[in-house]
Amino acid sequence: MSFSELLIQNGGVIIAALGMAMSVILAGIGSAKGVGMVGEAASGVIIEEPHKFGKSLVLQLLPGTQGLYGFVIGLMVLGKLDINMSLGEGIYLFMSCLPVAIVGLISAIAQAKTAVAGVAILAKNEEHSTKGIIYAVMVETYALLAFVISLILVNAVSF
Amino acid sequence: MAIVKMNKFNLFVFDSERDNLLHELQKFEYVHFVNLEEDESLIEQGLESVSVPEDIVEVNEEISKVKYAIDLLSRYQIKDSGIKAMLEGKETLSFEELERRALEFDYQPIYNEVKNLSNEFNSIEQETSRLVSLKEELAHWEGLEYPIKDLTTFKQCEAYTGIIPVKMKDRLTENLLKLEYTYAEIVSEDKKNIYLFALTTKDEMDKLNEILRMNGFTSIKLRIEGTPKEELNSIDKRLKLLEDRKSNIISKFRELSENVHNLEILYEYLMNKKLRIAASENFLKTEKVNVIKGYIPMDKSREFTEIVGETQKNAYYLEISEADEDDPNVPILLKNSRFAETFESLTSMYALPKYNEIDPTPLLAPFYLAFFGMMVADAGYGLLMVIACLVALKVVKMSESQERFIRFFYYLGYSTIFWGAVFGSYFGGAIPIPGLMNPANEYQKLLIMSIAFGLIHLFFALGIKAYMSIRAKKYLDALYDVGFWYMALSGGIVLILTMVVPLAPIVGTISKIVFIIGAVGIVLTNGRDAKTIGGKLASGLYSLYGISSYVGDFVSYSRLMALGLSGGFIASAINMMVEMLFGLGIAGIPFGILVFIVGQLFNVFLSLLGAYVHTIRLTYVEFFGKFYDGGGREFNIFRSKPKYINLK
Repeated sequence: MSFSELLIQNGGVIIAALGMAMSVILAGIGSAKGVGMVGEAASGVIIEEPHKFGKSLVLQLLPGTQGLYGFVIGLMVLGKLDINMSLGEGIYLFMSCLPVAIVGLISAIAQAKTAVAGVAILAKNEEHSTKGIIYAVMVETYALLAFVISLILVNAVSF
Repeated sequence: MAIVKMNKFNLFVFDSERDNLLHELQKFEYVHFVNLEEDESLIEQGLESVSVPEDIVEVNEEISKVKYAIDLLSRYQIKDSGIKAMLEGKETLSFEELERRALEFDYQPIYNEVKNLSNEFNSIEQETSRLVSLKEELAHWEGLEYPIKDLTTFKQCEAYTGIIPVKMKDRLTENLLKLEYTYAEIVSEDKKNIYLFALTTKDEMDKLNEILRMNGFTSIKLRIEGTPKEELNSIDKRLKLLEDRKSNIISKFRELSENVHNLEILYEYLMNKKLRIAASENFLKTEKVNVIKGYIPMDKSREFTEIVGETQKNAYYLEISEADEDDPNVPILLKNSRFAETFESLTSMYALPKYNEIDPTPLLAPFYLAFFGMMVADAGYGLLMVIACLVALKVVKMSESQERFIRFFYYLGYSTIFWGAVFGSYFGGAIPIPGLMNPANEYQKLLIMSIAFGLIHLFFALGIKAYMSIRAKKYLDALYDVGFWYMALSGGIVLILTMVVPLAPIVGTISKIVFIIGAVGIVLTNGRDAKTIGGKLASGLYSLYGISSYVGDFVSYSRLMALGLSGGFIASAINMMVEMLFGLGIAGIPFGILVFIVGQLFNVFLSLLGAYVHTIRLTYVEFFGKFYDGGGREFNIFRSKPKYINLK
């Protein structure tokens, strides 16, 4: 059996699984990187002012949600996997994963940068640190939109 | 229920009576002074600013002394465990009690004692570290059994003490063999160096010097008199003594730390005193009379007048008038119902309203409540919130702002339970009770519902804008800025619906007409501030283009669905893992329970955090964007914000 035959016979499930993997991997990388960046910045504040830990933790967690969105889409695709899946359906599911995977990766890092700036607000003017949180949440909107579209795509068409 | 109505006052009092007045006003609390130094016209009339630099310096000095004692002693204080301290909370005092207790307490002797002890403590620390390093140095010479002072008294001989790198050791011994009248001894050795003692006659001194130089010798002068061993013994004795004195001082600090609470009370009192003194810098004066301006809540005016009358023995001039609606300097104090006041922090975080606006707090509260619940949407989580908040409110002593914050989540808990029941979600499906709809399958319905909620939210915001225009008697503005927008938006939405859903053709026609009237109205009226006709039309057209931002606003409400769904999926993923662990048999069960508790608690935290911030976003960007400017000044109550106690 040549490779192209293998691909045509079982390709659907393989490519769908690839999509599932991509949504978890890329969004996960973004979030991991983002959460790490904010964590580093927050540690600098905590050395001098340990009581700001709670607020800094909130800022740190903000870029963490993209990974969760990718994970949820991954789970939804998991529910659709079937060994007899056609190649077309597999590619369709792969495409469905792209929004959350790519936007998740990039938005998590952009959000982390905003959150790092928010850590600076927390360090210098604690009272207004919630405003830094709001700025970071603005970025998250686009991750959410990508998540919604991925979610609709995964469920919209039944082959 | 909204912005507290303010009265403006002008007050003239005698300079000599100022302290007395300020003191009583601080008890009264609700007075906001205007800084008159910014008022050029009064300064030009020859009024001088009141300045009290000496008093401020004095009180600052007292504060820094008290703070020093608190910081130092609280390190030695035996503290209650975290939970006990939390349950007991901070002591609540009235202003009179605070003042009485602060004045009863004489901090000066305690400060002096703390200062002296701490100086002694520092000099002990210094001596200790000096001795410890000396001891380290001498330890290498312990084997040298001669009193060091004798080594310098020889007439015919010369003594050497010093170090040589270990790698030179062999060469050195070899070289030294050549010398006849030289005695050399390796006293000790560590990883890097050997410690060398040598004695030689004056004749051979040059040779020895040469050998030593070749082998990298560094001379060390031992600055002691007796033998190293004796010296080491006396150092040890001295160190022991210092250690004893140190622990003696520490136990004295422990005793003194009983005063920490009193010092804290004094600190709070002094901070208020400082505020009181600093307040007088807002005033202006002639030779004998102070000019004071400020604001007081309308319902407290009588009390204020009485206090001024009592303290000034009727030698004063007071004028109270209603604050001007459009004056940007009127300070803002919010007052809301017990439910709505918990949402005030959201309003003030964005910006306080201007005096001629309305307080948006009671208007945003119901939406916040509904949206927050929809984003968490798990009855189990909601129940946890309600129970946790109830317990906290019953058991823990809290300050007013903390109590409000907990009550805020307590209310949100009910909304979360409600939406959890609607979606049939109890700990992510751990308890299977069906709800009215299943979000995982009926996500389309849920999406439409979310956007419909957005529609209500935005139309309500526009409605508030219309209300504000009508209240200001600008009826046409209400039509132009809101009426036409209602028509354009609702017409447009129904028109789009007719393309998707089969409706009677008449609906399509009517909606088209409504939409066109609205759109034309917007183009014709929304640019009315521009000067030329061309400018009016252009900015009218630009306003109509703003309709595209409404599309963005509606889409933004899809987060109502998305957050709820993602939280639900994560919860069910946790449950899936737990099921797998349970499937492993007896051994898996405790792990399963552990994963369930930790996982669900983690998800509760994430869901609450997400819902809290995303609902804030919907409120600030989508809701406030339609009608609310804000930018009012905060009413500064005449009290310093307490740090260690709660002040009634």
